[in-house]
Amino acid sequence: MDALTHLIQGFGVALQPMNLLWGFVGVTLGTFVGVLPGVGPALTVAMLLPLTVKLDPTGALIMFAGIYYGAMFGGSTTTILLNTPGESASIATALEGNRMARAGRAGPALATAAIGSFVAGTLATILLTLVAPLIVDLALKFGPAEYFALMVFAFITVSAVLGASTVRGLTSLFLGLLLGLAGIDSQTGQARFAFGVPELLDGIDVVVMAVGLFAVGEALYMAAYASSSSETVQRVSGSLWMSKEDWKRSLPAWLRATAIGFPFGTIPAGGSEIPTFLSYATEKKLSRHPHEFGRGAIEGVAGPEAANNAAATGVLVPLLTLGIPTSATAAILLGAFQNYGLQPGPTLFQSQANLVWGLIASLYVGNVMLLILNLPLIGIWVKVLSIPKPLLYGGILVFSTLGAYSLHQSWVDLVTLYVFGLLGFAMRRWDIPVGPAVIGLILGPLAETQFRRALSISQGDASVFITQPISASLLALTLLLAVGPWAYRRIRT
Amino acid sequence: MRARPAEVALSAGVLALGIGAAAVTSTLPAEGGYAGIGPNFFPALVSGGLIVLGCWLAVEAFTGGWRRREEKTDRFSAAPFLWVSAALFAHMALIGVAGFVVAGTVLFTGVARGFGSTRLLRDAAIGLALALAIYFFFTALLNVNLPAGWMRSLT
Repeated sequence: MDALTHLIQGFGVALQPMNLLWGFVGVTLGTFVGVLPGVGPALTVAMLLPLTVKLDPTGALIMFAGIYYGAMFGGSTTTILLNTPGESASIATALEGNRMARAGRAGPALATAAIGSFVAGTLATILLTLVAPLIVDLALKFGPAEYFALMVFAFITVSAVLGASTVRGLTSLFLGLLLGLAGIDSQTGQARFAFGVPELLDGIDVVVMAVGLFAVGEALYMAAYASSSSETVQRVSGSLWMSKEDWKRSLPAWLRATAIGFPFGTIPAGGSEIPTFLSYATEKKLSRHPHEFGRGAIEGVAGPEAANNAAATGVLVPLLTLGIPTSATAAILLGAFQNYGLQPGPTLFQSQANLVWGLIASLYVGNVMLLILNLPLIGIWVKVLSIPKPLLYGGILVFSTLGAYSLHQSWVDLVTLYVFGLLGFAMRRWDIPVGPAVIGLILGPLAETQFRRALSISQGDASVFITQPISASLLALTLLLAVGPWAYRRIRT
Repeated sequence: MRARPAEVALSAGVLALGIGAAAVTSTLPAEGGYAGIGPNFFPALVSGGLIVLGCWLAVEAFTGGWRRREEKTDRFSAAPFLWVSAALFAHMALIGVAGFVVAGTVLFTGVARGFGSTRLLRDAAIGLALALAIYFFFTALLNVNLPAGWMRSLT
């Protein structure tokens, strides 16, 4: 089998001592930063990006995969012990996990989250290994028109269809698109929206944007609204081990959650928020102990945590095979690829097979590392959680500003960072989602390139988008998703 | 129902951004070779989108407020917000002149003060230790240049 040969080659890359080391550094740092309250996976990846600037691309991306998975693991620890979900995908875990911790069952809750993440992460990686070559084969037939249609589809699903408000989601997306315009036009060399500022000619860096929106925005928000509040960290007492009963209840939940999470991750549905809630609802419905839900049911932790990890792996499918990020975290990962002049997509599987398959192999390795690393080190993570807020946010901001400054060694990037901080503050206060803006910034320029390429090939004939069958069906589907729910409501009332 | 001033202001902001972007777009060239569209086409699309969205947001704000939004009632405390902002500005001003370590220490201490810490000396000591650790980690191990400032005389 073709995928298997490639995968074995990939393991040859991932198991090289240096790459193992980078993977290990990645999962450790990712977990450490991911454990910090208020730091979600997107921010973790963005904050740790500057660490890799001097690495070779393979080592850097393997480290990134580790950071990505580590951040997920770390986040679940925080959610269970502190009840402050760092991201919306952890809310479902918080419902039962924190209850279990309060009832003195923190150990089994952490264990089912960690082992469930491992099981789901590994199964999802196997699925990724099998599915990716098929999508690559399909995607090699895609021309610019198909890519553009696919990107429009992703834009609309992440901004308009999901989330509380279509108009606020779209506003966020268009803000991102506008910011993505800044810099040199890749087709003609024309400078746009740079206002003579040299730092802007390179375009706005996704790290500055993500760190500004997530870290500086969060710090300003917490300072203004919650600077004196404090949460209690639940103690981890008693055994970490799960009883036979716990295993029996967790295992089916992990498997069902993988089946829910992976497909949701692969479609542009904004990451793992929906699958975690779906998994929670499924477990609640199927459980033989429904009365325990809301009071600490282990299935309610096992399911959503596994779904979260399966979806996180699923997100890598469109990212690696098509170059399309479907969550804010994936958008930042795409930025990391671009830093090395690499554009994920079907051609990368051919031109950089070692890198891509090494990265996929490192996902298997990373999952094992996390399983081994996480539970024994739980004592350290509890200490990390107990860092008082003043020191925590002081540290987060020192690290965030470092990432922005190291881009051009210029204070202009720090001003940009602060402006993004204010924007993030306002968006959080007035319920404007941040994800679509990050995706718009990174995917907007790619969409524009494909659009103009498609028109160049057709000599300016705009009908290419609706005469090619794949492009036409994608655009029709997008329209249906965008207008459908609204029309449905109209007809019913 | 009363219009909410903050929502009206933000809607106006989005609208103004769209109009500003449209004004900049009008200065961009339109010629585009084979594609028939130039570097001004996408900016025009995005500006237009922002103008429409600004109006849409404003309509919602005037007709009962933005939809499906939780009303938040917790009070804005200005002092911590200003401390954190001031710390970030001090960092911007200091980093090129005094170096990463000094700027980082000041930033750390200021932010900690903003989050209600009263032990300034302890915070400064922790901030200094953290900044020094990061500085040596990045410059020695990762080969990333960070401004040395006063430490230049040491090396």
